[in-house]
Amino acid sequence: MIELKDINKIYQVNKYNKVVALKGINLSIKEGSVVVLKGASGSGKSTILSLIAALGKPTSGEVVVDSVHISKLTDNFASAFRSKNIGIVFQKYNLISSLSVKENIILPLIPSNPDALELEKKLQKVLEMFEIVDKKEILVKNLSGGQQQRVAIARAYIDNPKIIIADEPTANLDEKLSLRFIEILRGLKQENKTIIVATHDPLFFGLDFVDEEIEIKDGHLV
Amino acid sequence: MKKMINFYLLEYAIGSLVRQKSKNIFITIILSLLTFLLTAVFFITSSIRYELNQTVDALPEIIVAQTKGGKHYDIDVSKADSILSITGINSAIPRVWGYYYFKNAGVNFSLVGVGEFEDDYKEILENGLLIGRGVRDVLKKSYFKEYFNFILSDGSLLKLDIKGEFDADTELESNDMILMSKDNLRKIFDIDETKATDIVVSVANPDEVQTVASKIQLLFPNTRIITKNDLKISYQNIFDYKGGVFLALFIISLFTFFIIIYDKASGLTSEQTREIGILKAVGFTIEDILKEKFYEGIIISLFAYIIGVILAFTFVYIFNAPLLQNIFTGYSELKTSFTLPFILDIQTLVIVFFLSVPIYISATIIPSWRVATMDAEEVMR
Ligand SMILES: Nc1ncnc2c1ncn2[C@@H]1O[C@H](COP(=O)(O)OP(=O)(O)O)[C@@H](O)[C@H]1O
Ligand SMILES: [Mg+2]
Repeated sequence: MIELKDINKIYQVNKYNKVVALKGINLSIKEGSVVVLKGASGSGKSTILSLIAALGKPTSGEVVVDSVHISKLTDNFASAFRSKNIGIVFQKYNLISSLSVKENIILPLIPSNPDALELEKKLQKVLEMFEIVDKKEILVKNLSGGQQQRVAIARAYIDNPKIIIADEPTANLDEKLSLRFIEILRGLKQENKTIIVATHDPLFFGLDFVDEEIEIKDGHLV
Repeated sequence: MKKMINFYLLEYAIGSLVRQKSKNIFITIILSLLTFLLTAVFFITSSIRYELNQTVDALPEIIVAQTKGGKHYDIDVSKADSILSITGINSAIPRVWGYYYFKNAGVNFSLVGVGEFEDDYKEILENGLLIGRGVRDVLKKSYFKEYFNFILSDGSLLKLDIKGEFDADTELESNDMILMSKDNLRKIFDIDETKATDIVVSVANPDEVQTVASKIQLLFPNTRIITKNDLKISYQNIFDYKGGVFLALFIISLFTFFIIIYDKASGLTSEQTREIGILKAVGFTIEDILKEKFYEGIIISLFAYIIGVILAFTFVYIFNAPLLQNIFTGYSELKTSFTLPFILDIQTLVIVFFLSVPIYISATIIPSWRVATMDAEEVMR
């Protein structure tokens, strides 16, 4: 269960310049549900995702995930929380382009220092699942957009998080690849993952496996 | 069980270094060279300092030399007897010695006459020479292997056989030395029986050196009295002056080092900042990130340190510090070259280590630490 309570978020750009990104957000997302956050660019979707992932803190209000007040966690506990619970697919994928596919995908496993066999097993599983086995040793910068996106989701998935967050996942994909990504999400829904997608791509609207569509405008829910 | 070293993190660090290959190779080379330069300078300094101390220890406590209007002249041997009558004096021995200029090689040799009390050498030196190693090398080049011809003041030659080499405790001093009988030496420098170059005095109680020196000065106002302490100071002065050259090198090294450090510490590229954001977003803690940066820093700096120290060892003790040694022993034109004695200078190794490795590691870690402790929400943009 993910809950946002009375969230306000103000970015202090500089001394004289503030941006009110979110105002009075109340939201709750049940475990295992798929939620689409929709709204125009600049409406505050990414900000909500970063609060749920404990990447940032609200200016006021609380974020509670499985009864943990993550908006109050110190930096290291926030990292540990992400490591245990969250997989993120970023808008620009945020892969390290000079590393290979394998090296990018295993990043979330490194802090726990797993033994080599276990790591190899997990890696092999996601490579097969997202159909990039033959790309394993290739540098990410030599991949196409669709392939990079599958590497990004493989990285988000490898440590088996309960919650998967995707920010504008189809922004750089053509329709065919976008539909393919939507099918990947459908598969993850079957594994009872909680999935939150921020997007303004109409392909996501009215999907059968999506439990809820939440519209956001100028920092508040519609 | 939790393993001690996270090899994935180490692998990641090595990968990071390899990804910026040319920059890191450049830094490693510069750091190695700086370590080398600093270590070599310290090695040479402590080696020579050791040598000078040995030399000073071997010096006589008091030397009495004759002067006329401030200029040196040979001293009357009979003055030794008068000096002996002063209380507190163990011995007063007239020495005959001098610098002989060997034109062929353009160097000065120190000729030292061995006296009647030094029985060991007496036999050998009846008509021969014992030479220092440096002298041997110089003579060989001029094809003198078995004998040497000294040119006397009347232009005639004095041929003396080379009977062998002598081993010396202090190479700096004895390397250019030739031992011979006092009689032969008198012939070469045209010193007659009643004269000597100077008189060396030994004192029973080292604390009385100054008192005894003043007494001798009173007895013979026309002499110059040089105590061991005076010599020590003048040696030290040469050393300190030459040390200034080293100080300059030292400052240049530090300066270069700090430019590298400043460049590193002044901030990360946007690419590096983004990478840290990504690592945090996938669950790295601040510690994980700093550990990775620590690995990066220690790999480069420790490697550079070891290479630099090995180079310095090789340069100083195997190749005998060409160029750098000359800066210090500036009079190498006149003196024969000498081998730097090996001193295992742990203190230098420790100082250079602490001047390089931890500073470099901090310069790698601190900017990353600043980025890593900020909120990671920027990665969402
Ligand atoms: N780190 C930040 N600093 C300053 N302003 C920001 C920052 N992140 C987002 N904003 C601003 O907050 C508002 C909401 O942004 P965002 O959550 O990214 O919207 P969306 O993802 O819906 O496009 C925008 O006006 C954006 O410019
Ligand atoms: Mg956004």
